[in-house]
Amino acid sequence: MSTDWDVAVVGAGIAGLTAARVAADRGLRVVAYDRLTPGGQLVNLTALHDHPGGTGPELVSALTAAAEAAGVRIGYAEVTRVHPGSAVRLETGDGEVTAGVVVVAAGLGPGRLGLPAEEALVGRGISTCAGCDGPLFRGRAVAVVGEDEWTAEEALELAGWASAVTVLVPGPPRWSPERAERLAAAGTVEVLTGAAVTALRGEGVLSGVVVRTADGERDLPVAGLFPFVDRRGPEGLVDGLAADEHGRLVGAGNVLVAGDARAGAEQSLAAAEADGRAAGEAAVAALAATAGSLRIVDPTYGLPPEDDAGPVEAAGSTATWTDVALFTNSKPNATELLRGLGQRLQAHWELPELGFAAKESASVAADKDTIDWLSQRFKMVLVAVGD
Amino acid sequence: MELEKRGVVAPLVVTETFLPLVQAQARARRVRPRLVVVPHPVGGLNEAELAGRIEGAAAELLRMADEARGLS
Ligand SMILES: Cc1cc2nc3c(=O)[nH]c(=O)nc-3n(C[C@H](O)[C@H](O)[C@H](O)COP(=O)(O)OP(=O)(O)OC[C@H]3O[C@@H](n4cnc5c(N)ncnc54)[C@H](O)[C@@H]3O)c2cc1C
Repeated sequence: MSTDWDVAVVGAGIAGLTAARVAADRGLRVVAYDRLTPGGQLVNLTALHDHPGGTGPELVSALTAAAEAAGVRIGYAEVTRVHPGSAVRLETGDGEVTAGVVVVAAGLGPGRLGLPAEEALVGRGISTCAGCDGPLFRGRAVAVVGEDEWTAEEALELAGWASAVTVLVPGPPRWSPERAERLAAAGTVEVLTGAAVTALRGEGVLSGVVVRTADGERDLPVAGLFPFVDRRGPEGLVDGLAADEHGRLVGAGNVLVAGDARAGAEQSLAAAEADGRAAGEAAVAALAATAGSLRIVDPTYGLPPEDDAGPVEAAGSTATWTDVALFTNSKPNATELLRGLGQRLQAHWELPELGFAAKESASVAADKDTIDWLSQRFKMVLVAVGD
Repeated sequence: MELEKRGVVAPLVVTETFLPLVQAQARARRVRPRLVVVPHPVGGLNEAELAGRIEGAAAELLRMADEARGLS
C-alpha cells in the first residue's frame, strides 16, 4: 500500500528526532512533526545533567542537523489526531497525511497543579522553565513543586537568582542522595516533604500559595511557582491506543511510542534517546516485514555518488534509439515482467531486437562491467529494481 | 540510477511497496528517476496475472519512452 510517508513521527524532541534519523538513515521517507520547534524539552535546558551533550540548544542543533542530513523532513505542524490502520492516517495542522508506521514521541505536557485560576497565572508567576524565567525572580521568593531528579536541578538553578526557594514535595523525594546533599548545602533552599499546594493567591499575577503539610495549612508568599507534577502524556491522540494513569501511551501494531510519552518511560535524555533509536529500528523492521522481507538492492550500489550535474552523454557511446535493453534483478517473475513490457516497446518502436542483462541475484549489487556495457551500448535500458 | 547519470534513459520498474525505498535512494543520489509503478506483488503471480501487470504498466512506459525520445 502506498503512503505519503514511510514513517511519520509526532514530536521532534530528542526521542522523535532520533527515531526519525535512524529510519531515514535506512532510506525511508520520514517526516517529523512538531507543533513548536524541534527540540522539545531540551530547548529549555541550559545545563544538561546525566548527559554528555553540552547545553540543551547545542544538543538540539546537533540532533536536528543529523536528522535533516539523513533526509528527515521537519513538519512544522501539530498532529491533532492519529487513526491507526495498515496506512496510518494523521490529521495535522497542515492537512491529512498517511504513513506506514507512526512513532508517537510527543513527550509530556507541562507540570500542573489542577487548581482553579492556574491557567490564567501561567506566565504571570507560574512557569515550568527555570532556565527561561529564573532571572525574572531575581531577589524574590519562589516555590518548586515536584519530587524527581529534575525538580531538584530546577530548584538548584533557581537558587542562583531567587532569594529563597521552597521545594514542595508531595510524596517522598525520588532524587539521588547526591542531589539531596546539594539541596541541603544550598543555604537558600528549603525542602518540605508531604506538602501539597491547595490554593493560589494573587490577582492577575501570582503573590503566593497555600501549602498543606502534616502540620496544617499555611500561606507561603512567593512571586514564582514552578510545578513539575502531573505532567500528562498524549492520551487521546491516537484512536484506540491504551494509556497508563499518567496518560502515557502503550504502542500497538504500527503505532510505536518513544520517549517520555511511552508508558513506563524513565524520563531522562539518555533513556529518550535510546527509546528513539529503538523505535526507529522497529519502524524499519515493521516496514521490511510488510514489504515481504525482500530487500531493495540499488543496482548502482557501490558506485561513487556524483553531484547532480544532470545526465551526461556516455563517453564513446554509439547507441541510437533502436538500441534498447532490459536489465533484470533476477527476482521471481521480474524477467518475465520486463520481457512483457519490452515486447510492447519493441512493437511500438518497431525494434529489431532487445538487449538483455541480468544480475546474478537480487541481493547483490550490479557489477560495474555490466553498467559500463549497458551505458556504452544502449540508449535506453528498462530496469527491474523493486518487486 | 547510475545509468541515467551516464545519459542512458533508464525507466525503473518498481512495485508500489518498494516505491518509497526507490524514491529515497533516488533522493539520496540526487536523481529524479523515471518510474513505472506496478501493483505489488510480482513474484508468485500466474501467467494471466502477470499479463495484467504488463497491460497495466505498458501505456505509461510507452508514454515515457516516447517523451524521452522526443516523439510526444
Ligand atoms: C525541567 C526538566 C529538566 C530536565 N533536565 C534533564 C537533565 O538535565 N538531564 C536529563 O537526562 N533529562 C532531563 N529531563 C528529562 C528530559 O528532558 C526528557 O526525558 C526528554 O527531553 C524527553 O524527550 P522526548 O523527546 O520524549 O519529549 P519532549 O522533549 O517533551 O519532546 C516532545 C515534542 O513533541 C512535540 N509535540 C507534542 N505533542 C505534539 C503534537 N500533537 N503534534 C506535534 N508535536 C507535538 C512537543 O512540542 C515537543 O517538541 C528534564 C525534564 C524536565 C521537565
